Amino acid sequence: MPTDDVMRFFALWMLTHEAADEGLKAAVERGASATAEGMSGGPDAFVDGLAAMVAEEKERLKAELAAGAVRQPDRDEERLALDELRFEVASLRGRIDEVAGMLETVVAKLDAAGTARG
Amino acid sequence: MSARSRHITAVLARHALAGTWHAHLGLAPAPRRRAAFAHEWLLAFTELGPAFIKLGQLISVRSEEFSRELVDEMQGLQDSVPPLPVADIRRVIGRAFGRAPEQLFATFDDTPIASASIAQVHGATLAADVRPVWGETLPAGGEVVVKVIRPGAAEAILADLAEARRLLARVKRLGLLARVDLARLLDEFEASVRRELDLRIEAHIADRFAFDFREDEKVEVPRIVWARTVREVLTMERIVGWRLTDLAEADRAGIDAKALAIYGATAFMRQVMVYGRFHADLHPANLFVTPRNTIAYLDFGIVGHLTAEEMEDVAQVLAALVYRDADRALRYSERLGVHVPPEKVPVVKRELGELLDSVLGPSGPRSFRHFGVGFLQLLRRNDLEIPTGYGLLVKSLATVEGCARSLYPDIDIIDTARPFVTRLLSNAMGRPDRLEERIPAAVRAALRELVE
Repeated sequence: MPTDDVMRFFALWMLTHEAADEGLKAAVERGASATAEGMSGGPDAFVDGLAAMVAEEKERLKAELAAGAVRQPDRDEERLALDELRFEVASLRGRIDEVAGMLETVVAKLDAAGTARG
Repeated sequence: MSARSRHITAVLARHALAGTWHAHLGLAPAPRRRAAFAHEWLLAFTELGPAFIKLGQLISVRSEEFSRELVDEMQGLQDSVPPLPVADIRRVIGRAFGRAPEQLFATFDDTPIASASIAQVHGATLAADVRPVWGETLPAGGEVVVKVIRPGAAEAILADLAEARRLLARVKRLGLLARVDLARLLDEFEASVRRELDLRIEAHIADRFAFDFREDEKVEVPRIVWARTVREVLTMERIVGWRLTDLAEADRAGIDAKALAIYGATAFMRQVMVYGRFHADLHPANLFVTPRNTIAYLDFGIVGHLTAEEMEDVAQVLAALVYRDADRALRYSERLGVHVPPEKVPVVKRELGELLDSVLGPSGPRSFRHFGVGFLQLLRRNDLEIPTGYGLLVKSLATVEGCARSLYPDIDIIDTARPFVTRLLSNAMGRPDRLEERIPAAVRAALRELVE
């Protein structure tokens, strides 16, 4: 390939882009039609299904951008870790409630025994 | 031989004879013969009471070891027994807390809500506000349910279990039932019963589920009242709704059954493949649809656990089913413990491909249950060992499908699973460790494709 031919280089780049784009569009189409008609199945079916879902996500993103309301990514790792910690603390509180209940039981049984003796 | 042992033997023998009769003295075709005996075992287990009902329920999740007919019959076992007099229940509460129910709750209802082999459930209202481990405060006067272990339940079940072990030894000496590892089944049964007898375990699991679904407004889990919970007594929020067997009223109340069916199925997949903890005892009685258009999970007596690797492998197997990819199904089933010797791989792969196309293809029944049964039969046919837990998972997937179909009979479970599993695997694809591991191979494959 004569790399010094700039026009030819860009033509090749455009051709590659076009071929990839057509391949992707065909995958999206196959993936999207799978829901209604059932897909052929096999290892490539997952790629088609994924392509269709990515295309749907792209449309959602375009709509969000047009509305000026881009959704923020979901919760980050730190928040998840913090939630886990909160749950552990809350579980400990539950355990303390259980132990407090057991103490009340002991007191009630001692009272009952005292009343019976008295 | 004790009186109980004689009774068990007599009941089993009577139903075995009836099965032989209904199977035309064993001359009926194999499926009809199996169905006749399976039905008789169901009747025998029901007649023999709590321990056998629980054992039957365990058999119903072991499709890898028992025939489809027996598993199907045992799924119909209802754990419901006549209620105990309330004085017995009050005695258990009194022993556990040192006080009468009226001193523990604002009100206590002497009429039971439900009565099963291990526990009996009564309604009550809270005397004071309660802050649960997760979720909003339960207000004073709020309705709760009090689940109480039936006095003597543990002893009766464990005594029957001991009898069953003795009978098993005798059956083994006769050389019967050699293929099924009944001793292991009884060990598992005993462990499961002992777990169910400590209600604090169930309470902890309910708390964890409530936390897992903390941001999900469509899923409800009863909140636990820990100050009124001990080993024999569990107090939790009362959730009112419609069982999946009684949806006509829900329908009249304008519940969106289709949306809830899809949501419920996805919520279950999240339990298995995102949280690694799943409700393994789902049946129409343990799942409510509420007037708030939500799904409520109840009764966390049996829960399955998966490691992070297993979660990913299950997701890959599910993707293989959804996309009917036999290679992927076999590869990841192997990681879950289904070992196929190299010489059997071609035949198993071919049979698996045929099963995927016939069951999950556009013109098939598109049902996890049908696939699960077919896959386990395929493994059995090829003398392949089925790992412990795989059967439970297949049964759980089949059950969630059954529950979703109770809500909305026309649900396409494959279409429901496809977006969930595709998103899950695409998220896994973008993990840095995965990229580092797979990118070199991907680049090599792309270059190979270009130069070929």
